[in-house]
Amino acid sequence: MFIYEKKLQYPVRIKNPNPRLAKFIISQYGGPDGELGASMRYLSQRYSMPYPELKTVLTDIGTEELGHLEMVAAIVHQLTRNMTVEEVKAAGMEDYFVDHTAGVYLQAAAGWPWNAATIAVKGDVIADLTEDMGAEQKARVTYDNILRLADDPDVIDVIRFLREREVVHFQRFGEALRLATDRMDQRNVYAVNPAFDR
Amino acid sequence: MASKDQCNYKEGPLPSCAPLALGTIPMQQGAEPAYDKNEALVKGTLFPGLDLPFMDYVAAGTLENVPLYELMALDFVTQELALYLDTHADDKEAFETWKCFKELAEEGRRRYAKQYGPITRAQTAMFDSWVWPDEPWPWEYLANGGNG
Repeated sequence: MFIYEKKLQYPVRIKNPNPRLAKFIISQYGGPDGELGASMRYLSQRYSMPYPELKTVLTDIGTEELGHLEMVAAIVHQLTRNMTVEEVKAAGMEDYFVDHTAGVYLQAAAGWPWNAATIAVKGDVIADLTEDMGAEQKARVTYDNILRLADDPDVIDVIRFLREREVVHFQRFGEALRLATDRMDQRNVYAVNPAFDR
Repeated sequence: MASKDQCNYKEGPLPSCAPLALGTIPMQQGAEPAYDKNEALVKGTLFPGLDLPFMDYVAAGTLENVPLYELMALDFVTQELALYLDTHADDKEAFETWKCFKELAEEGRRRYAKQYGPITRAQTAMFDSWVWPDEPWPWEYLANGGNG
């Protein structure tokens, strides 16, 4: 069960609408390394995770990512608020506008809709946790690239926050892998998949 | 095992021998040093050891001292300590700190809701009518301390 909180984790308050920035920031909403994929990856990996402390890590980080999903949506929404057709044209946003107007849709910057093929649920403790570490790094790089492209301090402030969360989550997944290793046969952790072999 | 004393707060101990063909990340040694809650929120982490910004994109100062940001800071520290405890369940001191922040955050949430409207649907019960739908919703500029 999830309970909604009517506030963001960190304030999104963008003074100046600017659809040009929304065009690529939307990748962290529904792109290959975005927040939806992050949340769905971790929350879905829980069911085959055999160890309680690792179910917890996946649940708590997967839930925080839902909050980040809302923050990215808030950025896109505020950057496109009250936008006119002239502004759409000036930003080169006609391709998005024709399908979604000023709605916030789950897609990558290049227009592809969100795809579960961008995430993995392997049902193996080492494979899933190693995937999660890679996922945090990919999300971190996407935020790095957004920082390279963004020129609005209000946007940069939020992106900087979200990027730092990826660094913290990477550390936690790394520690989770250590905890998993401690529970497995140190001579050959590959001898079994504790998520399947009982 | 490397002694704790050999690592500073930006490092963590590694086993002297570790299995081949497996990622091994140093464990964070403790929940200290830690930023003050308002600084933690703006940095995006409670822990100076994990504060690793891109280029010179460093948080400047803290957010304004308004009730919403105060509550966000309390909730943020609570969340950050919870993730730490998820992989450091034996850290009793961090658990006590988490309990303190959780209390402060709950109290802060009650006070905030009374004045500005419910944060959870359940808090709508404090009011005389169904005010849960009242604007602004959190994704709006005006809901986040934006003005005008």
